[in-house]
Amino acid sequence: MPSLTPQRLLGLFLVLPALAMVVLFFIVPLSASVIGAFEVEGGFMGGLGLDNIIKAFDFYAQDMLFTLVIVSLSTLLIALFSIGIGGYLTLGENPRAVAILRWLYRWPMFIPFIVVGQVLRTFLAKNGLMNGTFVAMGLITPMQATSLLDWRGIVIAFVWKQTPFVALLVAGAMASIDRGTIEAARNLGASRLRILFEIVVPQVATTLLVGMILSFVTMMSVLSVPLMINAQSPTMLTTDIAFRINAYGDYGVANALGLVSLLMASGVALVYLRIAMRERS
Amino acid sequence: MSTFLSRLDPWWLPRALVLGALAFVIFGPLANLLLWTVAEKWYFPHALPLEFGFSYWERVFSPRGNAVESLTNSIVVALLTVVLSLTLAIPAGYALARLKLPLRGLVLLAFLIPQAFPNLTVYVNIARLFYVVGLNGTIPGVVLVHTTHGLVYAVWIATAAFAAVDAELEEAARSIGASGLRAFFDVTLPLALPGLLASAIFVFLESLDEFTGSYFVGAPDVNMLPLLLYTAGAGGNYQIASITALLLLIPSIGFMLVVERFLKVDVLARVGR
Amino acid sequence: MKTLFKAAFAFGLTISPVTAAELTVLTAGDQNMVDYVNEYLGPLFEKQNPGTTVRAVGTGPGDAGSQKIVERFDAQAKANVAKWDADVAVVHEKFAGPLVKNGYLENYRDRISTGKLVTRANADNALGTDVKGYVMPMFNSQTALAYNPALLANPPKSYEELAKWAKEHPRQFGYNGIKGGASGVSFVMGWIYAFGDTDADKLQNGPFDEADTKKWDKALASLKEFNANAQLTPGNAGTLDLLSRGEIAIGPVWVDMFYSWQANGQLPPDFKLVLPAPGMPGQPMHYVIPSKAPNKELAEKFVELATSPKVQAEGIVERFNWYPGIDAQHVQAELDPKVWAKLFTNVTPEDLARYGKRFPIAPYNNAILEAYERTVTK
Repeated sequence: MPSLTPQRLLGLFLVLPALAMVVLFFIVPLSASVIGAFEVEGGFMGGLGLDNIIKAFDFYAQDMLFTLVIVSLSTLLIALFSIGIGGYLTLGENPRAVAILRWLYRWPMFIPFIVVGQVLRTFLAKNGLMNGTFVAMGLITPMQATSLLDWRGIVIAFVWKQTPFVALLVAGAMASIDRGTIEAARNLGASRLRILFEIVVPQVATTLLVGMILSFVTMMSVLSVPLMINAQSPTMLTTDIAFRINAYGDYGVANALGLVSLLMASGVALVYLRIAMRERS
Repeated sequence: MSTFLSRLDPWWLPRALVLGALAFVIFGPLANLLLWTVAEKWYFPHALPLEFGFSYWERVFSPRGNAVESLTNSIVVALLTVVLSLTLAIPAGYALARLKLPLRGLVLLAFLIPQAFPNLTVYVNIARLFYVVGLNGTIPGVVLVHTTHGLVYAVWIATAAFAAVDAELEEAARSIGASGLRAFFDVTLPLALPGLLASAIFVFLESLDEFTGSYFVGAPDVNMLPLLLYTAGAGGNYQIASITALLLLIPSIGFMLVVERFLKVDVLARVGR
Repeated sequence: MKTLFKAAFAFGLTISPVTAAELTVLTAGDQNMVDYVNEYLGPLFEKQNPGTTVRAVGTGPGDAGSQKIVERFDAQAKANVAKWDADVAVVHEKFAGPLVKNGYLENYRDRISTGKLVTRANADNALGTDVKGYVMPMFNSQTALAYNPALLANPPKSYEELAKWAKEHPRQFGYNGIKGGASGVSFVMGWIYAFGDTDADKLQNGPFDEADTKKWDKALASLKEFNANAQLTPGNAGTLDLLSRGEIAIGPVWVDMFYSWQANGQLPPDFKLVLPAPGMPGQPMHYVIPSKAPNKELAEKFVELATSPKVQAEGIVERFNWYPGIDAQHVQAELDPKVWAKLFTNVTPEDLARYGKRFPIAPYNNAILEAYERTVTK
C-alpha cells in the first residue's frame, strides 16, 4: 500500500471532481445494467447466473468477431490517413496545397453519425450518386456498378467520419513539435517520408494512440451507421443490443453484449496504458 | 512562360489528382446532403432531383415545430457542456499526466466507460436517477448527461496534451521563483492549449449530436434539435434530416472558427515563434 | 424599469393560463406522426379547448420509438414520480401489452364517446394480452409487397409464387431481415404463416404451445435458401430506398410508409402494392393514457377528438391515406367516395379482409425471431 504523499493527495483532489461526475452519473446507473447481465430466473443466490452471457456468445459470437475486425480495420485506416494528412500539413512544401488540404479535410467531422449513415447509403448504393458520377464521367459502365452497402460501407462510413477527428489531433501535435530536428534532417537530405516516419510520428505517438483509442471506442458504440448501411448477418454488436431490447425486451442478453463491448474497449485501452506506462518510467 | 514552367514543380499533377480525389470523397456525400435539402422529388433513374423547392424548409421552420427553440437549446447546452467538461478535465488531465496517482490506469479507464458501454440499456437507469433528484426536463440535467460523455474526450486529450508539454519548462519557471499555480497558468497551460481546444471542439460536437440522453433527460420540456434529426433520419425522411443536419453545421463550424482564431492568435503571441 | 416590470407582468398574465394546461403527447413513429399532432390535431384541439396547448415529442420510428416510451414510463414508475410528464402516448401494438401488464395505463375507453366505434379484435387484445379499455387505435397499418411496375409487370400473388419468382430472378427481391425494422419481421411472419407446419390462426390468437416452436424448421430452411437469392436491405427505409433506385424490383414495406415516401417525392408515383396470399401482418398504433398523466381529463378529450369519425376521415384517411383506427363504416360516411376509394387503389377491401393478418402473439413472435436468428442468420 503506497503512502499518501502530498503529491498523491493533490492529484486525487484534482481528479476527483471529474471522476465523481462519471461515477455518479454513469457508472452507478451502469452497475444496475451490469448486474442485469447476470440476472436469470431461478439462478444461484436469488437469481444470478451466466445464462445471459452464454446465450450472448451462442447467438452472437460471430458478430463479436465481426465488430472487432471492422472497428480495428477502421481504426488502422483512420490512423494511416491521419498520419498522411497531418504529415502533409506539417511537411508539405506547396503552401497552396497545404491550405487546400487544411480547408478540405475537416468537413465530415461536423456531420452527425445518423446523417453519415443516410448520406453514405444514398451515395454508395449501386445506383447511388457515386456510381452515377463515375458512369457520367465514363469511368465505368452501368453494368460494372456495384453496391458498397455491406461491411465495406460500414468501414467507409467510419473512416469518413472519424479520420478528421484523429487528423485534427495529430496535426495539432505535429505542429507543436520542434522544427529544428526536422530542418536538420532535411538539410542532411532525408526524404520527407523518412522524416515523417522516423522523426515526426514517434514524437506524436501518444496523441495518435489516444486519438485511435477514442475513435475505436466511439465506433464501438455507434448504432445508426450499421443500422442504416448494413444490418445483416454478421453485423455490429450495437445492432444486436438494440434488437434484443426492441424485439424481445431482453435486457439480460443486451447487457451481456454491452459487457463484451466494454471488455473489448478496455482491452484496447489497456494496451495503450501499458505503452504509456513504459514511456513514463 | 518559361519562368512559369520552371516554377511549376513536377509534383503538381499527382498532387492535384490526390487533392481532387480527396475532394470527391469528402464533398460527394456532402453534395448528396445539400441536394436533398432542396429536393422536392428525386428518384431513380434521375441523377439529379426532378423538382427543387423549399417546402421542407417551411416544414422544419413551421411555428409549431420549435426548430429555432431546439437549435438555441442545443447551442446553449453544447456551450455549457464544453465549459463544464474543460473545467473538470483540465485539473484531472494535469494530475493524470504529471502527478503520481494511485490506480492511474483504472481512473483513465473509468472515463472511457460512458463511451465504451453501449448506452441503450443504461439510459433507463440514468433517467430514473434524474427523476428522483428532480433534474429531468432541465437544462442542467441535459448538460450533466452530455458532460459525462464529453469527459471521455476532454480528459483523455487533456492528459495527452499535458504529457506532451516538457515538464522541465514548468520546473524552470518555478526555479526562478514562480508559484506552482503561476507556473501552470503561464507555462504549461498555454503550451497544452492547442490540444485542449481541440478537445473542446469534440465535446461541442458530441453534445450537439447527442439524442438518446437528450430525449430521456430533456424532453418534453427541453427539446433539442438532434431529436428531430433522429426521428427524420431513422425514418428515412431525407429532406428533413438533411435540413436539420445543415442547421447543426452552422454552430459546429462557427464554434470551430472561433476556436481557431483564438488558437492562432494565442499560440503566436505566447510561443512567439 | 417600471415599464419593464409592467411588460413582464403583462407577459406573465397572458402566458400563465396557457402553461396551466399543456398537453404533452409522446409519439413513436416517423416524422409525419409528429407533424400530424403538431400541425393538425394540436391546433384543432386548441381551438376547441381555448387556453390549452398541445406539444408533441417524437421518440423515433419503429419498435425502438415505442420502446423509448416504455422505458420513460419505467424510469418514472421506479422513481415514484407522482405526476408523469406525458398525457398521451402513441405506441405500436406490441408495446400495449407490456404497458398494461406493468399497470402504467388508464382504463379510459368506456369513458369516451368514440370508445364504442371500435369493434375490431385488435383493440381488445394486443398480441395475446387483454388490453380492452386501455387503448384506442389511431390507425391500422399493414405490410404489403411494393413493386416497380417497370421491372415487374405481373407481381407474384402469393408467397409460393414469390419464392419461385425470386429463384428465377436473383437479387431482384429485397427485404430487411429481422434486425432492420418491422417490415422485414412481417415478411418473415408471413413466410411462417405460409410454409410453417403450424396453424396460422393459432399463432395469431393463441394459446401458446411450446411444441409448435419445433415445427418451423422446414420453413426456415427454405427461407435460408430463399435469402441466398434475395438482397438484404438496410432497414424499412432501406428497402424503399433500393426500390426507388431500381436496384430491387419488389420488397415488403409498411403501406403508410410507402405512401409517405410517394408524397415526399422519394418514390416514383407509378409504384404499386400487392398483398400476397396467404397474407402478411399489420398492426395498429394505439393511443394510451398513463394513469399518472397530469391532465387526464384533457387527455381523454384529446383521444376522443383524435378518434372521432371526422378526424379519422380527414386526418388519417384523406391526409395520409392510412387505414382508419375506428370501424370503417363510421369513417366512410364522412368522406367523399372518391377519397375512400383511393385507400384501396392497390389493395382491395376483399384482399385486405382475407390477407390482412395480425402478428403472432408475443411468445410465438419471440420464438419465431429466435428460431430465425438460430437457423437463418447463423
